[in-house]
Amino acid sequence: MTDTPKSDGGVARRQKQPFGLPRWVMGVVPIVLLVLLVGGFVMTTPLAGLQTGEPLPDVGISQTSLPNDHTIRLQVTNNAPEPITISQVRIDEANWGFSMSGGDNTLAPRESATIDIPYNWMEGYDYDVGLIAADGTTFPVTIEAAQLTTGLTGQVVGTLAFVGFLIGVVPIALGMLWFPFMQSMSEKWLNAVLAFSAGVLGFLVFDAGFDVFESAGDVPSVFSGPMIAVLGIAGSWLVLQAIMDWRNDGEESRLSIAYSAGLAIGLHNLAEGLAIGTAFATGRSALGVFLIIGFMIHNVSEGPVVVAPLADGERPALRHFVALGLLAGAPAILGGWIGSLSQSPLLSTLFLAIGIGALLQVVVDIVDMVRRSGSIRSAPNMLGFAIGLVFMYGTSLIAG
Amino acid sequence: MPSMNEDDAASMTEQLENRLVDSIKDHEGVSRRSVLGGLALAGGSAITGIGAAQSGNESGGNATTGHDASFGTPGKYTEKNFDPHGYLREFNTGDSTNERDAIFGKKDDLNAGVSQENGQTVREFNLIAVPQEIEIAPGVTFPSWTYNGQVPAPTLRVEEGDLIRINFTNAFSDMAHTIHPHVQNLNPAMDGVPQNGPGAIKPGETFTYEWQARPAGTHLYHCHMLPLKAHIHRGMYGTIVIDPKPEKVRENPRDYIDYHGPITDEVREMAVERAKSRNMISHADYVPDGYDDIDEMVMMNGFDTNFDADNEVYAANTRAFAYAPAKTHKYEGEWEGGKTKHPIEIKKNNLQRVHVIQTLEYDFINSFHTHSQFFDYYDAGTTLFPNRSTIDTVMMCQAQRGLFEIDYSDHQPGLYMFHGHQSEFAEQGWMSFFEVTE
Repeated sequence: MTDTPKSDGGVARRQKQPFGLPRWVMGVVPIVLLVLLVGGFVMTTPLAGLQTGEPLPDVGISQTSLPNDHTIRLQVTNNAPEPITISQVRIDEANWGFSMSGGDNTLAPRESATIDIPYNWMEGYDYDVGLIAADGTTFPVTIEAAQLTTGLTGQVVGTLAFVGFLIGVVPIALGMLWFPFMQSMSEKWLNAVLAFSAGVLGFLVFDAGFDVFESAGDVPSVFSGPMIAVLGIAGSWLVLQAIMDWRNDGEESRLSIAYSAGLAIGLHNLAEGLAIGTAFATGRSALGVFLIIGFMIHNVSEGPVVVAPLADGERPALRHFVALGLLAGAPAILGGWIGSLSQSPLLSTLFLAIGIGALLQVVVDIVDMVRRSGSIRSAPNMLGFAIGLVFMYGTSLIAG
Repeated sequence: MPSMNEDDAASMTEQLENRLVDSIKDHEGVSRRSVLGGLALAGGSAITGIGAAQSGNESGGNATTGHDASFGTPGKYTEKNFDPHGYLREFNTGDSTNERDAIFGKKDDLNAGVSQENGQTVREFNLIAVPQEIEIAPGVTFPSWTYNGQVPAPTLRVEEGDLIRINFTNAFSDMAHTIHPHVQNLNPAMDGVPQNGPGAIKPGETFTYEWQARPAGTHLYHCHMLPLKAHIHRGMYGTIVIDPKPEKVRENPRDYIDYHGPITDEVREMAVERAKSRNMISHADYVPDGYDDIDEMVMMNGFDTNFDADNEVYAANTRAFAYAPAKTHKYEGEWEGGKTKHPIEIKKNNLQRVHVIQTLEYDFINSFHTHSQFFDYYDAGTTLFPNRSTIDTVMMCQAQRGLFEIDYSDHQPGLYMFHGHQSEFAEQGWMSFFEVTE
């Protein structure tokens, strides 16, 4: 750190403007010109020749569900810039009656609707469902191995709370019990544990990174799912980084790094819970005992990650540990509930992306922390990081 | 899943019967009857029902609650330029005193006159190739290429030995077309293929085709431009019915009988009687024993609405389910006819003679199947005795056509289905019904 000021304090550097105009005039000139230009184009359409034919109709089917044994439900969105009318629906090459939310069968651009098709579907069968638009364009979707979509019932709330507790809170609480042991470690080996934490988090970044772009692909294309993922990752990273920097202005606080790690893991567990809730609601959950055990072992590494930043120094009050454990683990329960309520690819993309941004921020903080207390490229650190990655990969195989 | 036991089935059947009896009673004297009644074939003249009975309220869609049968295409047809029910019994003989309604925004003067030339009757027609948006399922339009604005094209009805003169105008701005007839032409220039005679008739051009009306039977005409698949699938096909002349049958009965043994006078007279029964131009008033002759027309077709070389909509005469009830409830056996979708009403004491032409593109075969009924089948209608008797299903390839003679005189009144027995075709529109009445 030097004494060079980080900012000029917001003082204007040059007062003189061309033609002696006030500064604010020069500030708005480009905007005024842009408005005039756009207005001119709209009024005169000089580029009418650039339009080559009609844009292709595009209706996205973001979600299919089977709320009861005689209904097939679709969530549809018009991704195209022109309105479109859904005139007919067919299932397995047979025309079928249907009703569509929103009063009429026409979707404005970016409008979404729910289509209910009364159909006595059979469990385990695949169904090819297709929409036929007024101009004959078809939009197909396949429902694989039909299963009842349960939605959020009292029993589901309880089950998901229990599952979320088992795979979120319990392993983190267990992992935090390593704290006294970590306190007794030398700085060298404690750094290695921090590097292990970074490895764990790095694995989660990639794991969730692939998921988020897969989920983004299911978002109606008009919302540009992949860009939502990018904005969510960058946005949450930058916001959390700014908060951390503001909180730590001058004085480094290990507790705040622990909390940000807890928050990051919490957000990640929220996204994980979301996936479980969705799987549960759509009848796709295969959460056997073995899978839950897998998740518990997988997530047990998240405990030391949260408390590792606190190991070098005074032990904070116990309430901080309880709070950290709940912050990191309990969102798995919340995510499960949200996921069973709404199987929205948009929502899961957003949560996954925010979680990734938070994980990245914590990795950066941990790396900073290790660097401050010694060389980051020591053999124990490298080994710790690698073990973190490999441990997570190995246990992810159990968790399926 | 709902289940039915036999008692339930029996009571439902009874309920169904009562419903049908009630509905038939209710239908007595309604305007629908009179519309179809007006389509009876008097003197072989062209009769149009086009555009009739299309307004009014028809509830859209089938009920969607509980376990109702929600099967079919919900909604009603709103385009008025073509009515499959009117088309069914519209036969154009060239008689210019019969006017057709304007279909593609103007009168087409399809029937251009009947005259005599060199001892031959000349029946003259004006056919115009014109693009037209058509409605093939409620709310679903299809950019079709047509003759005279309709799919299928107008049905031409002539007598064996006539000369068919077609003044063909290509009103497309960007595409050439032809007309190729499935008749026994003696002049290759009149075959209507782009490789021969006048070749492709270019946009804005006209050409007069002359075809010999032979042999007697039910035949096809269609555009033969390449790519052939596109020109047929888009809707450029129609029917020519050539009525057998009893005099010619008496002279050369062997031409009309698929049989190699000796032909007795008795068989010869039977063939002549059958020719009379089939001839609605010269023997319109002829009634076969115990019948009141009614001819009908069915053309099997389908549409690939998204142009992926696979059909989305199948139909008898273009509109999916146009000859089916507008509403049905699977487990109550209730049905209702609509204004644009309703069964074909027939009288049980009439002989049903159905001309069926297979024009489906992209699928290799189609079929015609009647419920609770067995029929006589005349392949291409070129024989006077059936090629196959007492069958209920016939498989047909593209351009194959035939006459079906069906007798409902001993059946109880009610709904009798007929459809293509490819379930996929049936469930996407090629499912039709006769409503048999007293």
